[in-house]
This record gives sequence, C-alpha cells and structure tokens, in this order.
Amino acid sequence: MTTYSILIIAPLLFAFSVLFGGLRVRNVLTVVFVLFLAGVSLTNIFLVSSSTQILFSPLLHYLFILLDSIVLIYFLWQGVIKKHNLVTFFALLQMMLYAAVVFFSSSITSSDILIDEISSTMYLVINIVGGIIIVYALGYIESEKFSRFKKNGFIALLFFFLSIMNFIVSTNNIEIFFLLFELTTLCSYILIAYHGDEVSSENALKALWINQIGGVAILIALIVSITQYDTVYFDMLINNINELYLLPIVFLTIAAFVKGASIPFDKWLLGAMVAPTPVSAMLHSATMVKIAPYLMLKLAPAMSGFVSLSITLIGTFVFFSASLLALSKDYFKEILGLSTIALLALMMALAAIGTKEATTACLVLIVFHAISKALLFLQAAILEKSFNLKYVNDINGLINHSPFVVLFIVVGFASLTLPPFGAFVAKFMAIESIANEIGNNPLYVLALIFIALGSVFLTLLYFKVLTKLLAKDVSQEKEIHVDIPKLFTVPSFALLALLVMGVYVLYEKEFLTTAQVFVPVVLIAVVPLLFATLLFKKAHRVKEYHCGEKEEPQLNMYYFEIARSYKMAITVVATVLILVLILGAML
Amino acid sequence: MIEVILIIVAPIIGGLIYGLERVVRARMQRRQGPPILQPFYDMLKLIDKQALIVNPYHSILGIMHFVTLWVVVAFVVLGQNLLYIIFLHLLSAIFLIIAGFSAKSIYSHIGANRELQAMIAYEPILIMTAVGFYMINGSFDISVIRNNTSEIAGLFLIFLAFLMIIPIKLKKSPFDATEAHQEIVGGVEIEYSGIFFEFLYMAKWLEYVFIYLLLMLFAGDSLILGAVLSVTVFLLVNLVDNSTARIKMKHLIKIVLGIGLSLSMINLIGLSYV
Amino acid sequence: MFDFKPIRKKSPWILHYNAGSCNGCDIEILACLSPKYDIERFGVINTGNPKQSDVFLVTGPVTFRSRERLIELYTQMPEPKVVMAVGSCTCTGGVFRDMYNVENGLDRYIPVDVYVPGCASSPELIIDGLVKALEILESKTKEIEKPFKLFREASLDNTIVNRRNSALKVGEDTTDDEKN
Repeated sequence: MTTYSILIIAPLLFAFSVLFGGLRVRNVLTVVFVLFLAGVSLTNIFLVSSSTQILFSPLLHYLFILLDSIVLIYFLWQGVIKKHNLVTFFALLQMMLYAAVVFFSSSITSSDILIDEISSTMYLVINIVGGIIIVYALGYIESEKFSRFKKNGFIALLFFFLSIMNFIVSTNNIEIFFLLFELTTLCSYILIAYHGDEVSSENALKALWINQIGGVAILIALIVSITQYDTVYFDMLINNINELYLLPIVFLTIAAFVKGASIPFDKWLLGAMVAPTPVSAMLHSATMVKIAPYLMLKLAPAMSGFVSLSITLIGTFVFFSASLLALSKDYFKEILGLSTIALLALMMALAAIGTKEATTACLVLIVFHAISKALLFLQAAILEKSFNLKYVNDINGLINHSPFVVLFIVVGFASLTLPPFGAFVAKFMAIESIANEIGNNPLYVLALIFIALGSVFLTLLYFKVLTKLLAKDVSQEKEIHVDIPKLFTVPSFALLALLVMGVYVLYEKEFLTTAQVFVPVVLIAVVPLLFATLLFKKAHRVKEYHCGEKEEPQLNMYYFEIARSYKMAITVVATVLILVLILGAML
Repeated sequence: MIEVILIIVAPIIGGLIYGLERVVRARMQRRQGPPILQPFYDMLKLIDKQALIVNPYHSILGIMHFVTLWVVVAFVVLGQNLLYIIFLHLLSAIFLIIAGFSAKSIYSHIGANRELQAMIAYEPILIMTAVGFYMINGSFDISVIRNNTSEIAGLFLIFLAFLMIIPIKLKKSPFDATEAHQEIVGGVEIEYSGIFFEFLYMAKWLEYVFIYLLLMLFAGDSLILGAVLSVTVFLLVNLVDNSTARIKMKHLIKIVLGIGLSLSMINLIGLSYV
Repeated sequence: MFDFKPIRKKSPWILHYNAGSCNGCDIEILACLSPKYDIERFGVINTGNPKQSDVFLVTGPVTFRSRERLIELYTQMPEPKVVMAVGSCTCTGGVFRDMYNVENGLDRYIPVDVYVPGCASSPELIIDGLVKALEILESKTKEIEKPFKLFREASLDNTIVNRRNSALKVGEDTTDDEKN
C-alpha cells in the first residue's frame, strides 16, 4: 500500500464513517482521522518515491468514464431544474466534447500516477491545513441550524474533498484529471449551496457555470493533445511538446485560471462567501484554488517564451488589479477572498516563469498562503460566530475584548506581507526572478511594475483591517467577555505553530539569513515592550487633540473607491490578455 | 567595528543633518536660523517633559516605528540585501500608519491616510531602484553594490526617479502633504508628546540617514562622488523645499508614480538591451 | 542625574491660541517668526499642537465661546509649561473690558506667567516677554498645573493619572463655576 493510495482512499472511508453517529463520536473520529492523514502526508516526504509505472486497469478507466458521465448528467439536470441556461449550455457542451474525447482516445499508455516533489508538498498542504480546517468545521457546523445528518454530511463532504484533492495532485492522466476537476466543481457546488436558501443556490450555480468553462478548456486541450500529440498524459505531452504548437498547454492554463478565480473568472470565488465559513477556508487555502498553481507548476517546463511571458503578465496584472479592487471592500471575508485571487495570480505568474527560483517561490507561497488563509478564515469564523461581526468597520477596538483573536489576525496578515514569513520570501524571490527575466525580454518590466504596485496595495489592504482592530479608546465601556469554543482556539494555535515551523524551514533551507529572521523579531517585538513597561506607569492619560473641542468624533475606516470604469477596464484588459494568449498560441 | 559605531551614532548623524538643514533653510530665507545643535536641545527637552499618552498601543507602535527604522539603517550600513531592507522599511512605515489609525483623533487619521497614499507613491519606485541595482550588479546585496564602481550613468533615470521621492520621505515641499504642519498639525505625530514624541522625532533623523545612505549607493565605491552627490542633493532638496508650494496628495501620487515609474521603466528597458 | 533644566530654555515650542482677538496681536506674533525678527534662532517652533509645546501664547480677551477650548488646550499641554498673555485685551480685557460676551482677561481662567501689554504688542515686546517666560520655565516643576475654572481633578486608575476628563464643559459642573 503506497502512501498516495492511502491518502486517496482513506478520506473516502472516513467520509462514510463520520456520516452516521452522534456528536461526540463524530468529533473524536474526525480528529483521529485528521491526525492520521497529517501523519501519512508527513511520512510521504521521507519515503523514497519509486518511479514504477502505475497503470489503472481498464475496468477502473471505464468506471471513471461512467462517473464522469454521471457528473455531467447531474450538472445538466441541475441546469434544467434550476432553469439556469448557462449551466445547461456548458453541461451540454462538455458532454459533446467528452464524447469526442472518449471516441478519439489514444492507445499509447503511460503511468497513471506520478508523484514528484510538487505533489508531496501539495499533500502536506492539503492534508495538514485541510485537516485543521475540518477540525474547526466541527465547531462551526454545530452552531448552524441543520439536521444532524446534514451536519455530519458536511464533514463527510469535506473529507471527500480532501480525497479528490489528494488524487488530483497525484494523477498524470489528463482524462482522470478532468474527472477530478469536475468532481471538485461538484463538491464546491454542493458546499456553496449548503444553506439551501435563494442566495446560496444562486451563487452555487454561478460557481458551477464558471467552473464548467474550465472543464470545457480541459476537454479542448485533451482533444488537441490526442489529435496532435496522440497522448492523454501530462508527462508525455510535456516531453514531446513542439514549441510552435502549444495549444493544449494554453487551454490547460485557462482551466487553471478558471479554478484559480483569476479575473475575469473571479466572480465565483467571491460568491462562495455565502457558504459556511469553513467552506471558504477550504476553497481558499488548502484545496480547490490550489489546483491552479499546481497545474501551472506541472505545465511550466512546456511553456516557451511567448506563453510564459503572457501568463506572467496576466498573473501579475491580476495580482495588481485584485489588490486594487480589494481596497474598496468592507466585508472581511470579501477582503480575504480578493487577496486570495491576487496571491493565486502571483503564484501562477511565478510558476509560468519556470526558473528554479520562481518555482521554489511559488511552492513557498502555496504553503504559506494556505496556512495564513486558513488562520484568517478561522478568525473570520470566530468573529462571525462569537462576536456577530462581518464588516471590518464594525470591529472597532477588538483588542479590548479578545486580544488573542487580534493576535491571530495580526499574525495572519503579517505572514502574508512581512519578513520573516514565507509570503514575503516568495515576493522577494518573485521580484528577483522577474528582474532576471528583464534581461531576456524587456516586457517583463511591466510584470515588475504590477508586482511592485500590487504588493503595496496588498499591504495597504491588510493594514487597513489591522488599524481597526487596534483602535483602542481609553474611555471604553466595560470589556465584553466572549467564550470562544475550544474547537476554534486549538486549530488557531495549531496553525500558528505551522507558521512558525514554516519560518524555521525557510531558515534551515537558507532562504533567509539569521539576521533577517531574528533581528526583526527580537527588536521589533521585545525592545518596545521594555520601553513600554518602563515608561507607561509614569505617563498621564490625556484626551486626543480636537482643536480644543469636546465632542467625540465618529471615525470610520478609509476607502479607496474605485471607479466603475476602472473595474470594467480591468475585466476587459484581463479578457483581452487571455484572448491574446489563445490567439498567439494558435498562430 | 566602524560599522557598529556608525550604527550607534546614526541618530546623531541624522540629528546633525537635520540641524544643518534648518540652518541652511534659514540662510536661504536670509534668516539667522537656530544653532546646528538645535535638534539635540529639542531632544533633551522632550525627555524632561511630562509624558502624556492617549493609549498604550499608540505609543508602543511609535516606538516600534523608531526601532524598526534603526534596524533598517543598521542593515544598510552592514551591507544586507537591499530588497529586504526596502520591505523592512515598509514595515516601519506601516507601524507609523497603524499608530496613526489607532488613536481616535481626526488629524492622526488624516495624517495616517496621507502616509498610506504617499507609500503608494514611493514604494514602487524604491523597488524599481533596487531592481535597477540588481540588473547592473547581479545582486541585491548592498555590500556588492558598494564594492562595484559607480553606476550613476547607467541608472541616471532611476536616479532622477529616486530624487523625486526624497522630498516625500523627508517631508519637504512640494511633497510634504503627509505632515503638513500648518494644515493637519503634523498628521500622525500629533498625539505623541514628551518622550514618546521624541522617538518619532529621532525616527525622522534616521529617515535622513536612510535616504542619504541609499543615495550614496548610486556612487558605488567612490566616496568622493558619494559626498558630492549627497551635498548636491541636500542643497537641491532644500532649495526646492524653500521655493515650492505644497501640492495635494492626489497630484503627488499622479506626478510621482506617473513620472517616476515611467522614468525607471525606461531605464530598466534600456538596461535590458545592454 | 543630568540636569535638563538649562535645556528647556533652548527649545521653547509655542502653541498659539486666539481667544477672540482682533488678529492684531496674531499678526505681530507671526511677524516674530518672519525673517526680520526670526525667533527661530532661539529654537522656537510654532507647533500648533498643545501636546508638544512649552509656551502657551494666548491673544484676545477670552470670549465666552472660547473659554472651553482654552481650558481644554491648557490641560493638554504637558508640564512644565508657561503661559503668555499677549496684548492688552488678554491681560485685562482691554477695550472689550466688561462687555457682555467677554471674560476680562486670561488670568481669570488659567495661571498666567508673563503679561505682554500693547495694542497690538510689538514683536520686540513679544520677544522680551518670551525671554522672560523662558526664565520662568526653567524654574518650573513637573507638577500638574491647574486652571482656575472649568476643571476637575485628574482621576487615578491603577496609579495611572487620567487627565482625559479634566477640562469641563461650560455648565457641566455649575457649583464650581459659580464659586469662582
């Protein structure tokens, strides 16, 4: 039994076993399962991967085809009964294309499973971070008004999701990849619609039809790949690629853009906010969207000059514009969502550059982004459940009530921007590798500018939220004591520990020097506290300066309102860039 | 050893530059001006004053701003990675901004907001400058940049862009809307007093040291060129400060990003063909 | 311990408040800062911020509308501090004395250290007054200085002095107001 098969099959079994049973049994079981998965994914790194050919039996292939047909029929059925024309249209389109794929299918076989360094890293992210998310989903789902079966089903679905994700990063067969891609779409569709109300179902349908575009793109890529290269395998496609005919690669990257909610396909991820918060956490951090950078990393060796450049430009442009758009938002989860879009675009751009350094940067970013976003969404869940807060503007002076939540949010945001955390290292390496590329092609200057501006906007965005948290009035009303459930606090600390471990790994691998890691931490955290304890006792408390007026002002957060025309322009530019990419690859 | 001494006396050097600047500015206006040691008198006086604070976080963040900036200067002196330093510097600016927002004070909020907008303007140009150095030297390490010969000819347009952001960082006209003493009473620094204001005051000196140290990088290994460059820029910045009016934040961002980014972009494209 | 007191004199930062003045004295104060008189050579900065100033320059006869702000600004200044009443109106009420909306001089509200007469006081006088004020500043302690009216003692929470609500609104504590 190899680790990958455990990782794929075990969550499926777990999903069934948590489906029934009471609260306590389910919780204990889930925690045990999560620990098990984390352990397996950890041991996987230390195992020497054997490069044996793993071929699935034809029977299994038929099963996959059957599953695929069922999923597509389900989509079609949903489109018809919900009277959503786009869903119906894309489901029909996919059915036709899929029929063509099955009809053409090539005879040459290669390994169906391929585990490389990237897959191992992805296992870690999926199972450890995803597992922690499941643990706090246990706490979250209890406070929802669902029936017991539906609550258990929620946890089961999350496990199912982990299984699919583990499979998707192990497979080498594009046909199977397509099936799993569709299954993630299906999972996200069900999870987004979990509340069962009007808004949820609308957003779920939106997610469904946008994600189906990705399916269509994969199918086109498959058809082209079969007709031109006579293969359905990633490794053969990448090895035999003809520099002049990159169409399959381009269509696969478009599927990645769709999954990665890159502009103009960003609407579904923001719509997914209506789902229970653990779903957002799952989609944003560990699973779903991470398919995008993973796919890019896989395809990177096959990309040549033009494709690589244009994907980098698209990625950095989206990074810049998503950060800009996020500045005008107030809804906490929406801010997190847009920053996910931005960072995913950055990951894809890095993957597309394809140098050793950029690839490492991309992987570091994937890992750290997953941990930070899981932490932040967990805090969003706490804010929502324990404090009834959804909007950033309302979280005034949270530090008076719950210093730990504030600490976690601060660390979460800091880990996405500041040294010595991984996202910072990645940004750092991104700039370095793009600077290297400018020597080859001056157009990379544009990418550099987008990154420079985008990273500033992103920093602004995060600290915009922080400013609200720390705003403390001295004349505060009494502290509000809110009990935060253990199922929320323990995962928070676990994620914090993961972040610290991540920094340690970075230090071990010499991405950062000793001074770069420790000096900021020591000086910035310790020295001021020393000063503070010495000086604060003697200091008098005094009122803020309001030109001598006594009326207390009402202060709100700042906004950068972005004109509608700019929003339109961003979408148009992103769409045009993608069209240019397709056309350029065709010619 | 000399580096350690340099790091320790960095605020003093900054204070001297600031004192000198006040004299030079006064002389440009045909005044006598304060003594050169005036900033140190101010500093000592501030230690002696009764400390008033609005809330502890606000004050801690102010101290953190100062400490971080000192670390930034230390890293520049020690020849660390330039890009890292720029991001650390960003962190110090962020501390100040959060401090500004953490007090329930209108001017503090306006000041912090303008500080943010100024950051949008200067941060990309600092990054572009770093990339410019990287493309010529093949490394972001300041020690490498310092050991190579001067690249100011190759980086001339970036140098011009860098000149544009000096007034923003040093709070000089025409780009001093962030502080705007007569208009928003100093912006972020308004709620600080006594010894806590002193940290901000000294941070301002460190900002001088930081900017002039970065400027010296354009001179490479030639100390003479560095000195000439610093003195010229010092006089130029003060002349411009004395002879221009303050402009709005909106225009600041447009001018600095529009001109500065295009200049550095052209320069980088030019470098890619060399 | 290092003696800071002689330093105080070398860096007086000014807060300038117009308590209903006709702007005559204000213009003269600005003239002091201009190149001809240049009091910056003594280290003077016009901060406009009570929390960072040492010298409180008040002009005008203290109108009813301005007294609340006057007290508020005064309590926000950190000790040691000196108060200068600039102009005849500020010293005694001047030509506005005994008018219905005027409080007849600054010293009914806050302790004044230096009176600078003149309508308007000339820059030379203001500079002389400032020099005098600096001598007084040197001898002051860090004890809290209190206004005479519209004032409540600073409260203590956990041995930390809280001066947030020291300055009162007019009418907030009437007994105290009538007593004076």
